[in-house]
Amino acid sequence: MAANSTNSQANNISIQPREWGFLGSFRAMASPCEVLMAVSDPYIAEQMLQLAFQEAKRIEQKFSRFIEGNVIWHLNHANGVAKPIDAETLHLFQFAQQCYQLSDGAFDISACALMSLWRFDGQQRLPKHSDITQAIQHVGLSRMTLTDNHVYLPSGMSIDFGGIGKEYAVDKTAQMLAKQWPDYSVLVNFGGDIACPISKADGWQVGIENPLHLDNAAALLTIRQGALATSGTTRRYIEVDGRRYGHIINPKTGYPVEQAPLSVTVLAQNCVMAGMLATMSMLKGPDAEAFLQQQGVDFKVFRG
Amino acid sequence: MQLTSTQSIASALALASCSLIGQSQAAETLPANDDWKVDAAIMYYGEQDRVQAAEAIGNVQKAFGDSSLLDLKIVVDSLTGASASGAVAQAQSQTFTRPSGKGEYTVKAGETPLDDTFHDTRVQLSANWQEILNQDWTGNVGVYASKEFDYLSMGLNGGIERSFNKNNTTLALSGAFTHDVVDPVGGRPVALSEMVFRSDYNSDAEYQAAFDQTRLEGDDTKQTTDVMIGVTQILNRNWLMQANYGLSSVSGYMTDPYKILSEVDVNGLTQGYRYENRPDSRLKHSVFLMTKGALDSGVVDFSYRYSTDDWDITSHTLETHYRYYFSPSFYGQLHLRYYQQQAAEFYQPFLMAGDALPEYASADYRIGDMTAYTIGLKFGQRLSGGHEMTYRLEYYQQNPENNGTDIPGQLQNYDLFPSVKAIVAQVSYSF
Repeated sequence: MAANSTNSQANNISIQPREWGFLGSFRAMASPCEVLMAVSDPYIAEQMLQLAFQEAKRIEQKFSRFIEGNVIWHLNHANGVAKPIDAETLHLFQFAQQCYQLSDGAFDISACALMSLWRFDGQQRLPKHSDITQAIQHVGLSRMTLTDNHVYLPSGMSIDFGGIGKEYAVDKTAQMLAKQWPDYSVLVNFGGDIACPISKADGWQVGIENPLHLDNAAALLTIRQGALATSGTTRRYIEVDGRRYGHIINPKTGYPVEQAPLSVTVLAQNCVMAGMLATMSMLKGPDAEAFLQQQGVDFKVFRG
Repeated sequence: MQLTSTQSIASALALASCSLIGQSQAAETLPANDDWKVDAAIMYYGEQDRVQAAEAIGNVQKAFGDSSLLDLKIVVDSLTGASASGAVAQAQSQTFTRPSGKGEYTVKAGETPLDDTFHDTRVQLSANWQEILNQDWTGNVGVYASKEFDYLSMGLNGGIERSFNKNNTTLALSGAFTHDVVDPVGGRPVALSEMVFRSDYNSDAEYQAAFDQTRLEGDDTKQTTDVMIGVTQILNRNWLMQANYGLSSVSGYMTDPYKILSEVDVNGLTQGYRYENRPDSRLKHSVFLMTKGALDSGVVDFSYRYSTDDWDITSHTLETHYRYYFSPSFYGQLHLRYYQQQAAEFYQPFLMAGDALPEYASADYRIGDMTAYTIGLKFGQRLSGGHEMTYRLEYYQQNPENNGTDIPGQLQNYDLFPSVKAIVAQVSYSF
């Protein structure tokens, strides 16, 4: 539908009519992003998609640790100097702090130094134990100091909002869409993290992939309102001497969590909460299912 | 873990996440699904030179909460025009006694005899209740009645569906029972009795006595029991498949009281006409396979139906619909259907004078060998406020064929198996 398409080479923004409305898609945060809009007016759909794209890009630019010159880059290059932050960044830090406490230190946005030792790109050997002990010295969010407008990171510590950022972008985008167009149901899907802020009478059909069989949706579920997030990536592990090391690193030991699920999908009232519960359950290793059951949320766990 | 209550993690995260994204923490409340949905349609069906039908359809759906759905439907149709009586064309004009016994009609030389006494109005009412019993089970029950001048039909139906495998598989079992009462104009003809003519009698009274000899007293009934089992399987995100097996058992009066057969001699000359007769039981099996897929901007389905019964009627139906969304509020749909049927074992285009009369015989082309096809286009337009208009136009052609009967003498000059061409037009409005 040439008339309805906006094509940008880099971001691949496109919009296509569907039976139920419009499907908008683009790339951001290293993921394919989709916005499903139960809207019949192409003009409104175009505006919605533009809003979603702008918001996703804004959050990526602001909080990605791979983009030079943004607030995260400045913090990671502060060398022990306190740096000013704005309200939005403060809220994200406060949330990360709460998650650190709730998970008893298992979820830690300051674990960058450790994570970079573990490369799950087919490497056949483990990081050196001495490197791990060395890296752990620079890890531990409890050593961060946060005030209303400044953050202080000890020298050598760096932070990464990768474990929250995409879910946060989904919720923010969903919230903005719902505020501006309260009468239209939308589904915001950034790389599998999903939110539906306005109830859709017949629901949206969402497929959950089985990490072992990526070609087929392993389960279909209907979402009327709420959010869903998945933690876990496929085919990412190191195998050394017949022992498999998964990609979920315990920041306290510096080693992969044993018997972690391949993936965990959680349904919750918003995407940030769903994502955090999914991540925390992964960190529980063999107890992932028991943990989620205790939380009283709907979930789907795949194990290898 | 030092936390004594892990449940508190979810609650704490709920608070923390809401404060982060600045949304109210109000519990989600789903609006009750109690909308009315109303469909109204008018349809025209017209066969070239034959039956014309106009139909008005009203359908109301009302949901009660999320688990119950009531569906009420009324259809009123009015039929006029002529339909093939079963008699064959002749080189001379032919005169027939009307089914009522009162009056006659004449068919011109060379023309396929059509009975033009066919006028009727039919009213159909149905009500269906569907109930989602729980996550896995859905049930439905319904009643049905239809009435036309010479026919009354009443039915009950029910079904149950069970979902498995996270709703990826659905098994369905349904059944229906229908009781029909047939009370033809002029009475039911005596099986294979000969048509009488006023001109062969001296008085009205003598004619009426002779006509009454060809008729049975009172009405008759027919009972139909249908059972269907089906499975629907979601294959992947875009495709699903459905397979059904149906068994239908009918007993009672299935003869068409208005259909006749010509009795011809070896030269193809008509010697008289006899009223048809069909068996009073029929057992039918059918298998239906369908796959349906969601495409970019469209939906497509393909289906095949095989049907066979103990009258030896076997049929194959291939059908497809392809819907393309030009925009979310406007679609076009193409419909193609091909149908092929093998004749009933007692079907014959005419009787041969002098041969022993068979027990059952019918010259009704609808149970003879035939192929048929449909080509249709439909457009749907979604209007503001959830209203929708659809327009459908279809061409339908039936091509009856000779079932292998030798055609004697002058009958070879005529098309004994003329095609029937029809147009279907429909406009619907949903709100």
